[in-house]
Amino acid sequence: MFAAAALCACSALLIDPAAAADITASVVDSTGQPVAGVVIIAQSDNPPPEKHVQHSAIMDQQHMQFVPRILVVQTGTGVEFPNSDQIQHQVYSFSPAKTFKLSLYAGHKYPPVIFDRPGLVTLGCNIHDGMIGYIYVTDSPFFGRSDSAGTLQLHGLPAGSYTLTAWHPQMQESGGNSLTTRVVLAEDSHATPAFRLSHPVRRDAPHSGDTRWADY
Amino acid sequence: MGRLLTSALQRAGALLALLVPTVLAATPAAASDFGAVIDMRAVAADGLTSYLNGGLGDLRFDDQHDGVRLGSISLFYNHAFFDVLHVNVDAVAYDDHDRNPVDLTEIYAEFRPFPSNGWRSRVKFGAFYAPISLENRLPGWRSAYSISPSAINTWVGEELRTIGVEYDLDWLGRQHGLDWDFGATAAVLGWNDYSGELLAVRGWAIHDRQTTLFGVVGQPNMPPVAGLREFTTDSDQRPGYYAGLNAKYRDQLELRVLHYDNEARTEDYSFRLEDFGWRTWFNSAGARWTPTQHWTVIAQWIGGITMVGDSGFEDSVLTDYYRYEFHAAFLLVSWQHGPNRLSARYDDFEMHQNESDNFFNTNRGHAWTLSYQRDLSRHWSVALEALQIDSSLALRSQFGEPVNAAERELQLAVRLQL
Repeated sequence: MFAAAALCACSALLIDPAAAADITASVVDSTGQPVAGVVIIAQSDNPPPEKHVQHSAIMDQQHMQFVPRILVVQTGTGVEFPNSDQIQHQVYSFSPAKTFKLSLYAGHKYPPVIFDRPGLVTLGCNIHDGMIGYIYVTDSPFFGRSDSAGTLQLHGLPAGSYTLTAWHPQMQESGGNSLTTRVVLAEDSHATPAFRLSHPVRRDAPHSGDTRWADY
Repeated sequence: MGRLLTSALQRAGALLALLVPTVLAATPAAASDFGAVIDMRAVAADGLTSYLNGGLGDLRFDDQHDGVRLGSISLFYNHAFFDVLHVNVDAVAYDDHDRNPVDLTEIYAEFRPFPSNGWRSRVKFGAFYAPISLENRLPGWRSAYSISPSAINTWVGEELRTIGVEYDLDWLGRQHGLDWDFGATAAVLGWNDYSGELLAVRGWAIHDRQTTLFGVVGQPNMPPVAGLREFTTDSDQRPGYYAGLNAKYRDQLELRVLHYDNEARTEDYSFRLEDFGWRTWFNSAGARWTPTQHWTVIAQWIGGITMVGDSGFEDSVLTDYYRYEFHAAFLLVSWQHGPNRLSARYDDFEMHQNESDNFFNTNRGHAWTLSYQRDLSRHWSVALEALQIDSSLALRSQFGEPVNAAERELQLAVRLQL
């Protein structure tokens, strides 16, 4: 899944392909072991290109979980919320970046929700409080998640200065659940910035979602 | 055995044929969940005559009432109106000659608006379970870990039902990136003025037979357990209440505490029941810990008082009074891997008189429950449970039964979920 997520990163956004730069970012823990699943975003100091790497994405409900649990999308992306469970879900967010509520009854299909402001959107289900999901909305077209080797490749970035952000809801760094670093890309260059976490990413809570369980 | 099986299956089939089309026909396609579970049992019981058959035994079945039995046919229905009003109906058939062949265990409407900035209010109205059990999380308030819930939750199923209004206020900290959710609950209830009487007479029991809303506690006209008693009887028109708190740490830990008081006036006499009201109050606390995907540990405790005819009340017409103190606790450890679940539970319980005019009863005991459950497919599952209760009950001697008893029950349940 992480490899697939990494592939979501832009690969053909060049204003001038010949002058494009690449980034291979990596995330390791304090012992040097790779950390998978971390969201990585390269935000240019200059205005981002007027181009979308994707127009739609899917946040499914399966076995009382958001799938994927973490989704990164570019501002303006429409996200569909199907419901693959045979039970009702009521998805909501009161995050400033996107406030919405959507009742997802089995078999019903709703138009995509457009995420039109950058920021972190935390998703919940009003029927199943244990369901938590995240949609990270960014203006940048250069983003993805680290793969099982803890790396993410971003291609075709215009030369310039970038802020690289690594984020995961369970990162426990001193500044919170994200780290940033600066990268200056020359034309035709290949940068290899590395994030080294000082604390381990906290394990996912054991999923207790049995769709037969009711709320007593 | 063959004749028993055929008879039980015929009865189950007839009940299902009657019930399922009725409910399905009333089920709109959207915003509704409907479910049914048919639970057939093969039972070997060795113990005293069950309280359900007029005795003072602690099991659901006894050696005169075992073999192939209908465990239950459970029906659940939920419909969401305008996204925020959820109507829930749970019905059950036990085929044990209660007043109604099919009866309700819960029926309520819940107003559950979407959270606002992490806060959410909920209001329940109707007849439903108070938030005490951490085992009974399957639809129909059935245990997810064993066939028979603990002594505490067996009693909750027997004698407690909130008929009234409950308000919950939740703070969803996890939506703010924190690890904890917190909630507070308060309810006003009626029609529970005799809760505690069964506990005082029979003591603690362990079984999965819930009292239905229009059924009776125990079997009608089978002394010494008061028959004809039902939740719809209110002796004093004085409401009871409960208030509780809960906290959840991620998906790993849930904590609950609750104080309950039915506020029954013990000097008020019901000619219909030929009984005085039973004042019952208790505190309960519980924790459910899921340290890994495979392991679950549940511990619950309850402690309180039930009394009747307290002479401390002015204008009391009952000169004698009886006051019982009760406690129970259990520890359950459950391991799940794929379709398999193994659970072991130890129950400890007691009930004794204090400050009473006359000695009537006392109860003490403990129990072991071992359970194996396996999901065979999306619709079929099996459960095997071995239960042993060692208990003493003083009242048994008055009915020629031994005060001390070791009761054993082995049950195999085959379940079809629709």
